[in-house]
Amino acid sequence: MDQLFAALFQLFELNHLAFLFAGTMLGLVVGILPGMGGTSGLALVLPFVFTMEPSYALAMMIGVLAPTTTSDTFPAVLMGVPGTSGSQATVMDGFPLSKKGMAARALSAAFSASLLGGIFGAFILSVSIYYAIPIIMAFGFGEQFLLVVLALLMVGALTGDNFIKGLTSCFLGLIIGTIGTAPITGDPRYTFDTLYLIEGVPLVVVGLGLFAIPEIVGLLNSQGSIAKTLKNEKGWATGVKDVFKNWFLVLRCSTLGCLVGALPGLGGTVVDWIAYSHLKQTTKDTSQFGKGDIRGVIAPEAANNAKEGGALIPTLIFGIPGSGNKVLLLGGFVLIGIEPGLDMVTTNLDLTYLMIWSLALANILGAGICVAFAPHISKFTLVPYYILAPVMVCLIFFATFNINRDWYDFIGLLGFGLIGITFKNFGWSRPALLIGFFLSTKVELLSYQTHAVYGLSFLFRPVSIVLMILCLLTILLLLRQRFESNYSADLAANKSGQIFYVLVLMCLPLSMIWVTSNLDYRANLFPISLSIIAVILLNFILCVKIADLRQLKLLQHPIMNFARSNIFEITTGFNKQFHYFVSFVGFLFLNFIFGFPIASALFINLFILFHDRKAYRVSLSISAILLLILWMLSSLLTLQFPNGAIGFLIELPWWLGGELN
Amino acid sequence: MRKFLTLFVVSFFSLTSIVSAEVDFTGKTITWVVPFKEGGGTSRFARFIQPFLTKYLPGNPDIQVMHIPGGGAIKGSNYFQENAKADGTFLFGCSTSVIVNVATGNPLVKYNLSEYRPVLLLPQNTHWFTRSDLATEPHDLSKLIERDLVLYALKTPASADLFHIWVFDKLGLKGAKPIPGLSSSGGYQAFLRGEIHISSHGAANYVKKVKPEIEQGKVVDLMTLGIIGADGSVSRNPLAPDAPTFPEMYEKINGKKLEGDDLEAFYSIGAAWSQASKSMLLPENTPDEIVDVFREAARKMVNDPEFKEKASKALGPFPLIIGEEAGEIVKKAAIFSDTTKDQLNAVLKKNRFTYQVQ
Repeated sequence: MDQLFAALFQLFELNHLAFLFAGTMLGLVVGILPGMGGTSGLALVLPFVFTMEPSYALAMMIGVLAPTTTSDTFPAVLMGVPGTSGSQATVMDGFPLSKKGMAARALSAAFSASLLGGIFGAFILSVSIYYAIPIIMAFGFGEQFLLVVLALLMVGALTGDNFIKGLTSCFLGLIIGTIGTAPITGDPRYTFDTLYLIEGVPLVVVGLGLFAIPEIVGLLNSQGSIAKTLKNEKGWATGVKDVFKNWFLVLRCSTLGCLVGALPGLGGTVVDWIAYSHLKQTTKDTSQFGKGDIRGVIAPEAANNAKEGGALIPTLIFGIPGSGNKVLLLGGFVLIGIEPGLDMVTTNLDLTYLMIWSLALANILGAGICVAFAPHISKFTLVPYYILAPVMVCLIFFATFNINRDWYDFIGLLGFGLIGITFKNFGWSRPALLIGFFLSTKVELLSYQTHAVYGLSFLFRPVSIVLMILCLLTILLLLRQRFESNYSADLAANKSGQIFYVLVLMCLPLSMIWVTSNLDYRANLFPISLSIIAVILLNFILCVKIADLRQLKLLQHPIMNFARSNIFEITTGFNKQFHYFVSFVGFLFLNFIFGFPIASALFINLFILFHDRKAYRVSLSISAILLLILWMLSSLLTLQFPNGAIGFLIELPWWLGGELN
Repeated sequence: MRKFLTLFVVSFFSLTSIVSAEVDFTGKTITWVVPFKEGGGTSRFARFIQPFLTKYLPGNPDIQVMHIPGGGAIKGSNYFQENAKADGTFLFGCSTSVIVNVATGNPLVKYNLSEYRPVLLLPQNTHWFTRSDLATEPHDLSKLIERDLVLYALKTPASADLFHIWVFDKLGLKGAKPIPGLSSSGGYQAFLRGEIHISSHGAANYVKKVKPEIEQGKVVDLMTLGIIGADGSVSRNPLAPDAPTFPEMYEKINGKKLEGDDLEAFYSIGAAWSQASKSMLLPENTPDEIVDVFREAARKMVNDPEFKEKASKALGPFPLIIGEEAGEIVKKAAIFSDTTKDQLNAVLKKNRFTYQVQ
């Protein structure tokens, strides 16, 4: 108990507050930028946190995570575009409300609900910490193994539009995760004798590539969406009153959010929909839903903020991410030298409490800032995306480079960016790929450790039985679900392209089998079994796709619904997105020639001027500010930026790629 | 005699300081390459020493710590080998895993560690312990030796954890079986859950995490690696003065002193694992006068009252090793003799690992 309050006082020290505040501001911004969420935000700060003291780093990381689901309401209400995946359901009633001229009411209701939900989540987290020690002690290798399987099953099955494609994404992630040194024998796997792959693909490269790059090109493609400003809007007080009138709904949805969040792996992408459907089921008069019912804003917002606290439970005590962005939080733990597990509730309890308070405070700060500066913040949605995008690309490149200081990471980033774009467009699950990638080593080790300690007897331990029942229930529920297709497959264009894409994906498991087949069996058993399953699943998808294309009778049977629904995606603007992606590759080549700082300045100017010739003032000042920041960071972090070919011809200052000293 | 010796040492130092007066770092920047991520043990070690070194080096140069992680510490180490100038403006932050890469003959290694010029070493020590129901009394292995299965944590055989396999083999633990992929903290958790039987920790975590369990009677000490002196003698670890060292335990179980090939292997392992746990090195071919300037700065640093106050918390309880003695230790740690390699390969094979020391 003493530590609980000691942590609070610690948090109110100036330094902690400053880092928390900085994190919160960044979180608010990435929340507002449509599509960018906590995952991209954390990936951006990770390269900086490891120079900090752990407690500062934690305050900052939680600061980034907590308010993204608060500020994401701005684009949801004003533009009808979800700011993060957690506010998809908010759009349902938030946007109609805004069209009716009640944007202020919707926003204030959403912020209040977010605030209450977030604090509720922090409260539940702190209570559960008290019971953590017996839970950790009851979860041996076998139980942890089953928990991870449950996590993979849920994330694979629920985050994709199609059950089988989601599950396959998960397996592909697991396979990518096996690249690097085999944990049991120490053999290099799929590294092609390079040093770069010996520790596997860096997490930040995967995170930024899969999440940030596809969103940027996606939004560039949909540029010009008209946003509403908040001029002369009234009704702020009404929104707050709405929340207090519906206090019981807030409580129920927060509880729901916490529970769903605490289920490993499931996380943010579904919690808002679960809350929304709960609201629909428990309300008598559903006529206004979808047309602008304020409860339709309150329910998902309370739930998606409460889930942060819930999702931290498995993250902290088992190191099993509660949602996609927790994967990067765990990556941050590694960087600052904190290991999840027993230490978090014993020797590092002070840090755990610090995180809980940070979570509560960041929610209060986030909601407070959103309310106080709403008219100003809402202008963010008016900034043309062709100005934001090149700056974000430079930022992402910088964050990537700062992790390992390695050129190859740029290539990796663009590679995963391409995977992300195609996954997003063709309806494969990116969260499943990320969590599979992250948990891969854990699955391999746990299966080996479980076998060594228990053999098969672990299956008869009580906690194991409960977990297995949960796994089975998940599968049953999913198969019984009706799998309503959001759109009919007839609308999908580019079907042959999507079929071809499956064949491309097949290359990964096949080459993995080919490359690892001559290794020791303890080094290749895991990747080869995964690959075989992945090949089977991919072939199945291929068959379903072709059958769907030819409209075979077999597929019309209701049992096949789970496989057939959304097997094709409507891919509009994929080609245009691809063009934007190619411009990023151009940026990479600029880097090779000029080095990172000069290439960034060039890229920003070229990109903005290409879209608007008259905006040279904007582009020049932005690139000048960027160069200034890079120069400061270089001396602060002792960072030599990637140098280009030009460095060999002309003498440059060292931070631009010149000689050291 | 002693007075004479002190006099000699003092005059020797003052002599070197006269020589070194020519070496001056005014206005220069020293780059300290650390082949690990920020925040790791070697990074913390470098950052702790950095301000003191600036204070005591002639000309008070700026020291920037440059982190180049990746490739199991090989990337940064190779970078240092290829880029470092031997004029005192480059330092290398080394740790056990950097040494083990060399000692086990990793083919990707391009750095010539055994020829580097050490300034100072920071020793570390390993404690082994078990659950109280698995030992009749503290420091007693007999119950464990009888068991068919004694599980312990092992991160990977291609790391310093490989030495655990050798240690348990030499102590005749026939049932010893490593569980791979467990960090020391993850292993300790599994140990507390009763899933593994022997666990180990370094000094800092031993004090923080294991001592309380020992006081509650749940855990008992088995032994420590022991502190190896300059003359090869092995003394007990002051943190667990009652616990025998590995050579003592070896003698108790095998009925003969640790000697011959086993002793040689122990010295190599001890040098890599314990004595040179963290170290600060200058590149090969650095001129003697520059090396001496650094060593002298390190000696002054150790006597700094602020250093004395903070060091035990930041660096652990064991005194730093400075000077030529350190060079011998790094050589011993980096170059394993063929018999030592054979011994390690034999125990690896016995435990059905395909990984082999080259």
